[in-house]
Parts: sequence; C-alpha cells; structure tokens
Amino acid sequence: MAAEATAPLLVERFAIQGGDYEHGGDAAARIKVIMRQLGIDPDLMRRLSIANFEAEMNLVMYAEEGVMEFQVHADALRVIVADRGPGIPDIELAMQEGWSTATPEMRARGFGAGLGLPNMKRNSDEFEISSTVGTGTTVRYAVHLA
Amino acid sequence: MIAPRSSLPLGANGVAKGHLIDPAACVACLACSRTCPTNAIRVRDELARIKYELCIDCGACVRACRHGAARAATTPPSDLARFEHTVAVPSLTLYAQFGRDVAPARVLYALTQLGFDAAYDISWMCEMLAGATDAYVNEGRGPWPKISVTCPAVVRLVQVRYPGLIANLVPIETARELSGKLLRRRLSAELGLAPEKIGIFFITPCTAIMDSILSPVGLEQSYFDGALSIAEIYGPLLHELQTAPPDDAITDEISPRGLLWAMAGGEIAGMRDANTMTVKGTDVQHVFDRIEAGTFQGVDFIEAYVCPDGCVSGGLTVEGRYAAQRNIQQIAKSLGDSPAVGEERIRRLLREDFFAVSEEIRARPVQPLGRDLREAVARQKELKELIPMLPGKDCAVCGAPDCATLAEDIVRGEASLDDCVFVRIARLEDDLRAREARAHE
Repeated sequence: MAAEATAPLLVERFAIQGGDYEHGGDAAARIKVIMRQLGIDPDLMRRLSIANFEAEMNLVMYAEEGVMEFQVHADALRVIVADRGPGIPDIELAMQEGWSTATPEMRARGFGAGLGLPNMKRNSDEFEISSTVGTGTTVRYAVHLA
Repeated sequence: MIAPRSSLPLGANGVAKGHLIDPAACVACLACSRTCPTNAIRVRDELARIKYELCIDCGACVRACRHGAARAATTPPSDLARFEHTVAVPSLTLYAQFGRDVAPARVLYALTQLGFDAAYDISWMCEMLAGATDAYVNEGRGPWPKISVTCPAVVRLVQVRYPGLIANLVPIETARELSGKLLRRRLSAELGLAPEKIGIFFITPCTAIMDSILSPVGLEQSYFDGALSIAEIYGPLLHELQTAPPDDAITDEISPRGLLWAMAGGEIAGMRDANTMTVKGTDVQHVFDRIEAGTFQGVDFIEAYVCPDGCVSGGLTVEGRYAAQRNIQQIAKSLGDSPAVGEERIRRLLREDFFAVSEEIRARPVQPLGRDLREAVARQKELKELIPMLPGKDCAVCGAPDCATLAEDIVRGEASLDDCVFVRIARLEDDLRAREARAHE
C-alpha cells in the first residue's frame, strides 16, 4: 500500500496483557493524551479512541498478550494491534453486529455486546483484520487526517 | 469578549475572573498547583500563576490556599448601588446553611432585609428543568449519555479536556440563568424600569458560577449582574434571620423536588428516566474518559459536579457538606412531595423553546505542542526523551505540578531542565567529582 510506503512521523508501542482488566484501556488512554498534544481534531480523536478501546479490550478478553502500535503519518493515524492468542475461526461471522463469544464474566463487566469489531470498523476509515487459529489475530485500522 | 458589567479586578488578558491569585499574598507554596485537577497552575519567580486557558474555574486552588492569595473575586456589595432595583437570587445551597428548621421563605425574607429590594427562589425552575431534561432525553438523539450543564466547571472541563463530549452536553440553559431571564423580563414590565436599571445578583456557593456569569457558555451575556458569595453574606443573614418575617412577606412557592438540586443526586431524583447516574469530584474525569472510549452506552443521562457532593460542598459555603445535605433533605421533606409545577406548563415552554441554550457551546481545546503536525510530533519526541531525565518524584518544586508537566513546559519553551532541583543537584555532584578527580591528578 502506498500509505505504508512512507515512514511514519511517530511510532508509539504499548504492550497489553491478556486478562489484565485492571489496566485494560490504559494504552487507548495514553494514545488519547498524545493525540491531544498533537492537536488532532476532536472528532477524529473520538473515533480513533473508540476503536482503540475496543481493540484493547478484545485483546484483554481473548488473547494472551499483544502489542498496540500507534503510528502518526502526515495523512493518517494508523493503529496495528497484534496478539498471540486463540485467533478467530470465522472472521465474517465475528464482523456481524451482535455476534459474541463473551463469557458471563465479561458480560458482567459490560463487555461482550457483540459490538467490538463492527464498532471499530464503523469508527475508522480503513479496517483490516487477519487471524490464524491457534496463533493470533492482527487488526489494522486508520483514520484519515483532513 | 463582552465587557464585564461589574467592577471586578481583572485576571489574565484583561478578562474579569471569578477567582484569582493575589500576588501580594502569595507565598509560592505549591499547594494550589498540586491540587489543580487540570494542571493549570505554575509557581515560578515566587508567584503562583493560573494558566487560564487550562483552567476550568473549579475553585480547587481557592480551597487549597491557606494564605488568602488564591481567592474568590465575587461582586463587591457596592455594585448594588448602581441599580434602581436590586434582586437576590440565592443558590438552593443557601437554604441548607441554617439548620433544618429555617424555611426557605424566611431566608428569602432575610435577604430583603439585607438591602435587596426583592429575593426570588429558583427551586421551582429546577423542578421544571427536570421535566424539560426528561423530554430532551426522550427525544432519543445520541450521542449517549447526555451530560448535565448545571455545574459550570463541568462544562468548562468538557470544553477544555473533552471536546469530543460537547455533543453530549444537554443544550438546556441552567435554572439560574433561566430564572434571571424571566425575572428581568417580568420586573422590567411590572416596575416600568429599563431592564438594565434592575440589578440581579446570584448568591453563589462557588467561584465557578461567578466565572460563568462573567464569561458565560452557551449564552451571549449572563442575565445576572454579578454574584455574592454565601460565605460573605452568611453572618449578616444569620443576624437578620432572628427577626421573624411578617406572614405575607414571601409568597414564592418552594418546590421540594427542586430543592434537592442543591446536592449531588438531586437532579436525577426528579427525573422520570431512571437510567441515570451521578458523578462527583475527581471521579468525573475517570468517567468522562470512559464515555470518550464509548463504554457508557447503557446510560441515558449523567449529572456531574466537580465538587465532592454537588453545590452544598461548594468552596464558598459555610455549613459543612454532610450537615448541609441533611438540612436540605429535611427541609424538602417538611414541604411534602407534591409537584410544584404542572406538566402542561413545561410542555408549553418546551414548545416555545424557552429552555434552549441560545448559543452553541464551543470547544476550547488545549494548545497542541506545535503549530502543525510535524512540529508537534518533533516536540512529542523531545518530550519522550526528557521524561527519563527527570526524577519522576512529582515534587512540584520546579513550579510545574509534576514531572510530565515540566517536560511539556520545557518543550513548549516555557521552562528549562535546570528548573528541576534533582537535575541541578546531580549536575553539581558531577562537577564536584570532576574537580576532585582533577585535584588528585
């Protein structure tokens, strides 16, 4: 992809631990602080924050561990979330609104409404997901800077 | 910017502020800078200064200051003389200051004995707003949850730190401003006076409301001419309360449901929608972070206050917040629980758009690190390199409230690494060692 060819202006990486609900959301919060310091448009900031939070909580709920990489490009903000975990057997199914494999414990915490992946896609301008069962999942998404 | 109508001291940029730091009294002790929830204060050159662009008018600095330097700048009582007819509109919190047995009507009467020509209650307007808010939430247009605009410091917090949540703010004017609007219209007609000859003053529990009168949000100009603090009129009022009012003194109907707006939880208590929540004090920012992340979809409406228990815990009150809450609950109970406002009246005013804010609420986002994305990114990188050079003790002695804020000030060119005492000591020790090494050669 042409956009990937240009080197990012800034890269920040955050490690995320599966099952760590206490710190789930910290990476998304830190990216928000950076976006604020960079003067990103509030609406873009809101959309990317929603996607980041969903991605981070998906990782906390389902994967063993992973990394969220935030890239600032001249024309876009890109995020790559890669995890080591069970993977998603049927991505098409997982992308359907309301589909969820959340356990009762996750639902008790207010997650697992089956809004995660579709919500991320809705709030980003580019969205891509690839997964290998038994290995892990990688999600890439971006919002375009005006 | 509209010229302030009262003769107040001016803060930064010549804009009148409801709270400020008096350079003559400031001892540069750091108490205010450490307590400020938005890191808006710097203590440099032996003086604390408020960076008003970051300030949300919460008054935490006024509470923290033990030297009377950070203080409220409410309206001087001499301002009353500029008007032909003066009116006091007390915060409901005023009723909570004098125990359980002093009825609101007596407090209103006592205010007229203090020199105001009249005093009016706003509890019925609060009850009306609960109905208007229900109607607005019922319309069902997102984003959710809706956030109350009752606390002016919460509105400023959204403008400064959470611009993405501006669309969540309920676009309904506050009970105090709506009361001011009605009173000015009504009294001007009744007394045959030009509206500007009538001086309407709020009796405020906090500096945030004073600030909202001086520079309103969602309104071109406040309907109030100023505000006096509950604390400053408490003594004289207590004295006047010893005289019982004549039977026909105050005829205003008090709304028991509206009275509860003095405390956190009171606003949602009067609403039909039960899918609501109260958030207070330092928790507000945590909850707003969560709302921004999109995890509060199940809640319709949030009332939020920067003070720990709502208005009864405002910085300019006298009665403690626990006793004040008990007082207001008992007073409300003694008045019964019948609605003071008819639903038909609310519906009619809704149709007239009476409650709507008159101006768009705009974001006031924090200044980015650079003028454009490239410069901001370069400074962001400098910032990341600076952090490990600082001790991370957040001692605030440098004048910034914590190490991360000092690092930001440095990349913005407003401070230097040498402002950190730990950095300076380490450098002196290095110099000393180098000198000793040379002496041994």
